[in-house]
Amino acid sequence: MTTSPHIPRRDPAQVMRLKRLGSLHQCRLSFMRILMRRMAQENWQFSRPVFDIDDAGVGRAVYSVQGPERAYSLVAFAHDLPPEQRSDRVIAEAWDATFTLFDGLPSAADIDRLSRNVPLQEAGRISERELSLSRANRSVRLWSHVVGRLAAGQQPDPEQIDSVGYLMRTTAVYGSGKFGAADRETLAARPELQAPFQAEMLSVYLTRIFVRDLAEHMARIKGGDRAARLDPAIARQLGIGNSTGLGMAPFIINHPVLFNNWIMAREEAIARVRSHPAATQAEVDVFRSLLKRSAVSVARWRSAHPIQIDKLARLRADMQALEDHMGAESLLQDYPWDRLMRWSESALSEEGQELVASLILEPYGDEVDGLSSCLADSNADAFVIDGAMPIKEVRALIEDRFGWALDLDWSAPENCARAWYVSEEKLEPRMGERFDEPITEYEQPLAPARDAVAAHKRLADFDADQPVSRFLMRHPEHRHTIRRAQMSRIAPYSEVQDNTISANVLPIDMLRAKLSFFGATHFDPRSDRWVRICMYAGAPYPEDLTQDTADLWVYPEEGE
Amino acid sequence: MSLSLNEMEALSKRATRGGGYSWGLAEEAAKATRWLCAQGLDGGAVLAELLEQGFAVSLQDHALADPNGPWQGNAALCPLLAGVTLSDCADRLAQGPVEMRHVAQPALILPFAAHAARRLEQVVTVTSGDWTATTDGTALSAPDHAPEHAALLRVEAGGTPSTPRAHHSRATPAPETQEVLNRFAHRIYAPATEESRLLGAGAGLSDND
Repeated sequence: MTTSPHIPRRDPAQVMRLKRLGSLHQCRLSFMRILMRRMAQENWQFSRPVFDIDDAGVGRAVYSVQGPERAYSLVAFAHDLPPEQRSDRVIAEAWDATFTLFDGLPSAADIDRLSRNVPLQEAGRISERELSLSRANRSVRLWSHVVGRLAAGQQPDPEQIDSVGYLMRTTAVYGSGKFGAADRETLAARPELQAPFQAEMLSVYLTRIFVRDLAEHMARIKGGDRAARLDPAIARQLGIGNSTGLGMAPFIINHPVLFNNWIMAREEAIARVRSHPAATQAEVDVFRSLLKRSAVSVARWRSAHPIQIDKLARLRADMQALEDHMGAESLLQDYPWDRLMRWSESALSEEGQELVASLILEPYGDEVDGLSSCLADSNADAFVIDGAMPIKEVRALIEDRFGWALDLDWSAPENCARAWYVSEEKLEPRMGERFDEPITEYEQPLAPARDAVAAHKRLADFDADQPVSRFLMRHPEHRHTIRRAQMSRIAPYSEVQDNTISANVLPIDMLRAKLSFFGATHFDPRSDRWVRICMYAGAPYPEDLTQDTADLWVYPEEGE
Repeated sequence: MSLSLNEMEALSKRATRGGGYSWGLAEEAAKATRWLCAQGLDGGAVLAELLEQGFAVSLQDHALADPNGPWQGNAALCPLLAGVTLSDCADRLAQGPVEMRHVAQPALILPFAAHAARRLEQVVTVTSGDWTATTDGTALSAPDHAPEHAALLRVEAGGTPSTPRAHHSRATPAPETQEVLNRFAHRIYAPATEESRLLGAGAGLSDND
């Protein structure tokens, strides 16, 4: 059943605040879930043509997957990494394992070529035949526990599994032409890669299988015939970690139309569901069941960072408030989902509100999942400035997105305390203190609000009816800002509506916004600019992947 | 070396910014260079030669002195500034040809002529002496090499594209070109300091847990 939406999408001024973006949760439109649904629907076939790992855990493996038209292969290299070299940062130069996603089935010569490059990561070169480049480090504690237990013929302790959640965590997963890989533009026409980050998500899914196999292999080396296989239920609970630094934050500012499309698709989905005048009992049952399963996930979510500890305490209180509210609410009549959303806005924290917003989409796959095709950015012409637009229109666009910023004193130290820059050290993205460090001359253009206010002031010196091309001829230094303002015409959710260089900015909010669209869970900040997450926890491995298991795995079964 | 077009674009953006242009122009120079490379032209070399001329030090001298007269500067016209103006004022071509004087690296005008062609939904022709290029906004007909300088450059709506150039999915700049672009790009990277290494990325904690 489809309804004509009449409850509008939420206002960008509400959605695009950093605090809310930093509270987003995965949903049906998350990139991992899109991939898993497709792999099950199209019955993709998995194989492991190469697994050549020696007794020290060093070697190579290939995991291939055959879709309806094309095959892809993860080429994995396992290394013996001295502990002092283990670092998740960009500046690391060695890892426990390194990977590339190959387009098709690699020959022995391809694997040899890759063996000379992939272990070097940024210092190597890959080619048009490769779609991604990535690496992973062990969780030292859980790895040694799991391998030790399996070697002794025992299963790992569930408490330890719970407390970490993964055996290895990836760090950078590079795609889109990085280090010589194929450009997205050459792949975007393939249906299985049309949605964003599908190649990267596939590489991480296959990496999780490799990591399970490698742990079992090392246990067999250590324990011989005594060694146990990992209990499939425990293996399923294990995800693959990811450790993400500051570099991800600029992405959402540097890709305004793409980021808009993610947010707008989710907002459209929310608006469609809110517009249902009534719900069936079956729809309500899906919601109630997944709410309970979400509570299990929230209970398992650990963080040692004060900011997230506080947010989790509030989220747990939100879960209780939701449970109480649901006891008195049938959700069958009178725009139930809209009422629930409105109730959440007054009763729950942003974490809780966004969890509800994601969860109400679950019963309505037929109306929501099709929006997956709207997530990519195929509008290259949005980049081209319309010089004929009157100056008054450009000013109005800036006022729409950055009205809140116009009266801010941008010269006050607390409002411009930070500067984003790129270090010459392996080009690691960093953020520093503008007034304490010599970094201003290297500043990246990651403060759109400040720049928009500057352009807005300068535009006031020109005749409002003149075309903006006249202004740009005199002030080409504002082209960046005028382009963004014009993009916001078609992309209302393109701009973060907060100060990205203030003394209080939390880059982890930007990281979380992006990672939530990947489908990540259990955000665990390590600082204000670094976060660890879990991916694919609960997801079926290929042998269990069916249309029944492909979708709701992200919600743990109760008591699992 | 074979670069992805994305790498070529990223390198060009950093190099242009390092060459002293504003971020907005750097983005446009990067897309323009990528577009030339996708047409099988040596966009990287064109950009490298432009940056070596150091126009950004006194950019006003290389901008249009008077937008109502013929397009010329006080010194050689910067093709990035002339290009973005052509793109911004695409409608102007509907009224008649635009003539530019003393344009450096005129190949860089072509990607912006393509913007104009897409906006006007018309073929656009660029000529200087016996060098002629036509584009419908997507495909380009042009010889492999463009002049380094055009004393007179004419841009007009209309024309008939001859054989369109084959599309390329990679850029293959010469090592010397990459060296020049990397040298300019390096100017935008902050020097490594111990403080920045410790605090800037915010990792801090051990990953051996």
